[in-house]
Amino acid sequence: MSAAATAPTATSSTSAASRGILLMLLLPGLVALVITFLLPLIWLLRASFTSSTMSAFGGGDLTTQSYSTVLFDPFYWRVTWNTLVLGFNVAIFAVVLSYPIALFLARTESRFRGVLTALAVAPLLTSSVVRTYGWMVILGDRGVINSTLQSLSVTSGVIKLTNNSFGATVALIEILMPYAILAMLSGFGRLNAQLEEAAAMLGANRFKVFTRIILPLSLPGVLTAALLVFVLAISSFVTPRLMGGGRVFVLGTEVFNEATVTLNWPLAAALSVMLLVLFSSIILLYQRALRALEA
Amino acid sequence: MADHHVIIDNLVKTYPGAQKPSVDHVSFSLPRGEMLALLGPSGCGKTTILRMIAGLIAPTSGAIRLDGEDVSSIAVYKRNMGMVFQAYALFPHMTIARNISFGLEMRKVGRAEREERVRKALDLVKLTGLGDRKVSQLSGGQQQRAAIARSLVIEPELLLLDEPLSNLDAKLRDEMRDEIRDIQARTGVTAIFVTHDQDEALSMADRLAVMSAGRLEQIGTPREIFDRPQTEFVASFIGAGTVFEGKVTEHGLAMVEDLKELRFVGDAPLGSPVKLMIRPHRLRLLTDAGQPNRFSGTVEHIVYRGQTLTLNVRCGSRLLQADLPTHAGMLPERGSTVTLSVAPEDVTLVGQVSP
Ligand SMILES: Nc1ncnc2c1ncn2[C@@H]1O[C@H](COP(=O)(O)OP(=O)(O)O)[C@@H](O)[C@H]1O
Ligand SMILES: [Mg+2]
Repeated sequence: MSAAATAPTATSSTSAASRGILLMLLLPGLVALVITFLLPLIWLLRASFTSSTMSAFGGGDLTTQSYSTVLFDPFYWRVTWNTLVLGFNVAIFAVVLSYPIALFLARTESRFRGVLTALAVAPLLTSSVVRTYGWMVILGDRGVINSTLQSLSVTSGVIKLTNNSFGATVALIEILMPYAILAMLSGFGRLNAQLEEAAAMLGANRFKVFTRIILPLSLPGVLTAALLVFVLAISSFVTPRLMGGGRVFVLGTEVFNEATVTLNWPLAAALSVMLLVLFSSIILLYQRALRALEA
Repeated sequence: MADHHVIIDNLVKTYPGAQKPSVDHVSFSLPRGEMLALLGPSGCGKTTILRMIAGLIAPTSGAIRLDGEDVSSIAVYKRNMGMVFQAYALFPHMTIARNISFGLEMRKVGRAEREERVRKALDLVKLTGLGDRKVSQLSGGQQQRAAIARSLVIEPELLLLDEPLSNLDAKLRDEMRDEIRDIQARTGVTAIFVTHDQDEALSMADRLAVMSAGRLEQIGTPREIFDRPQTEFVASFIGAGTVFEGKVTEHGLAMVEDLKELRFVGDAPLGSPVKLMIRPHRLRLLTDAGQPNRFSGTVEHIVYRGQTLTLNVRCGSRLLQADLPTHAGMLPERGSTVTLSVAPEDVTLVGQVSP
């Protein structure tokens, strides 16, 4: 009797205790997030409403001056537009180029599958700065491509492949492809060899199996990869800066310029908030699309 | 035989890198409209045979003939066979109706006819009105029905089912067993289904093909398989029983170890070695003396199962299992001595006896 009466109390107190332990375990992470993410974000928001770099640290009047610059200066409209174009181009090409690789890795029954997957994402082990310099060596005015073409007398002059958005786009595509592959691999969960076999048994040739089964089932993964690459591309700074040679203006490079060259921190903060707004709208769109796909 | 609808001719499959063939010279045939069960323990090559017939994998050698024509080089999507997969393999991004109409779309059947045939297929498997559901909104049993409808709507030459009931719970399994049998009979489609469950095979199939380690052991009606097993493997795989080896000393009488002599019915030449099997449910507790095939032994183990009582009786060095009907007053005790008997016609002669 007494055992039966105390049993529920015992379980509820253990669950309360385990909830306590859970909170304690979460606490360091939560504190770290607040300190490294939430507080800086609040500070950034506040800084975007101040009038000068000095007052960005606190004090001074709040003003929307930086936002009117961002919203009404055509230069920043162009910068935002450039950023979106770069993001779309990089996302589309990175996804298109990664799709066959990811599809192969997801469907292969080779025992080297693990090794091949590791190889596909191995470039992540190298800093993107190093890989950007690699692309400068390949695409530069005296780079591999130009010198080869010239020594073969195909061209006489230099083909401009760097110091423009072309170079930045190419380098970003390659640098972000491993992320695209990883995102797709994790999003291909609904692909299944048996579904392909079932379709074949029902009379679908390889092309129909691809268009009617593989493609629709892999779309969620493709969408996730596109989102990830897009977000990484529009927030990138090093690659557009180095490959663009100072002639490619995107939000990432402008935030850097305003913060370190012009020393206009409120404007840099307002541009960062602009990027944040872009991210959020893209993520909302993505979630809509994903829900529509899975409905 | 030659005019049979489906003929499987010396089919062999050795997977790349494998030492032994997974399917080793298997031949059998089906008349039109027959339901054949491929029965055998896990890993004996049943699925491999089914996938070769379907065209999903290529045979190492051998032929698959439909109405006399070898189809083994025809691509899977042109073979016109229906397959029900173990995990159903319904397309998760399509409704049930779209799943069922997929095969018709591939055959470029017009929209109106498609809708009509999908509706009929849904009726056939008792899913009337559920065509607009998503796959995830159906129960396991309903998904199974949808998979069957999808494979039948294309009017396949041959219906293949791989362990169709293994993903269902026990109650649903019995229901779907009758259901599948009924659908097959009504559509008249020739069908091969794979199972490792002997009850399923015995109750659903017109004939059984029993396999072991890639080889066909025996093919026949459930009755033939059960009462005239051709090999010791078949005898022990289908139903329980104890096999005794002995030598024929008189017509219908063999000397066997542990039981001394055992009477049986069947042609076995004098002096030839025989294997005889006693099935548990064919043993009786001895009532009147003077019957042949009497064995006394000690009861080592008793399990009361309600309708039957299972005794393990030690006769010499062997344990003889007896499933006896329970009735009032019949409850031998553990350690007591009982006398069992079996009618000579109920002793199973295993294999064909060679003189
Ligand atoms: N794709 C494959 N590659 C190599 N060996 C296989 C493959 N599929 C099955 N096998 C082997 O072939 C044998 C028969 O398998 P299977 O036909 O699936 O048996 P069952 O369906 O009777 O359980 C098994 O030993 C299995 O390991
Ligand atoms: Mg199998």
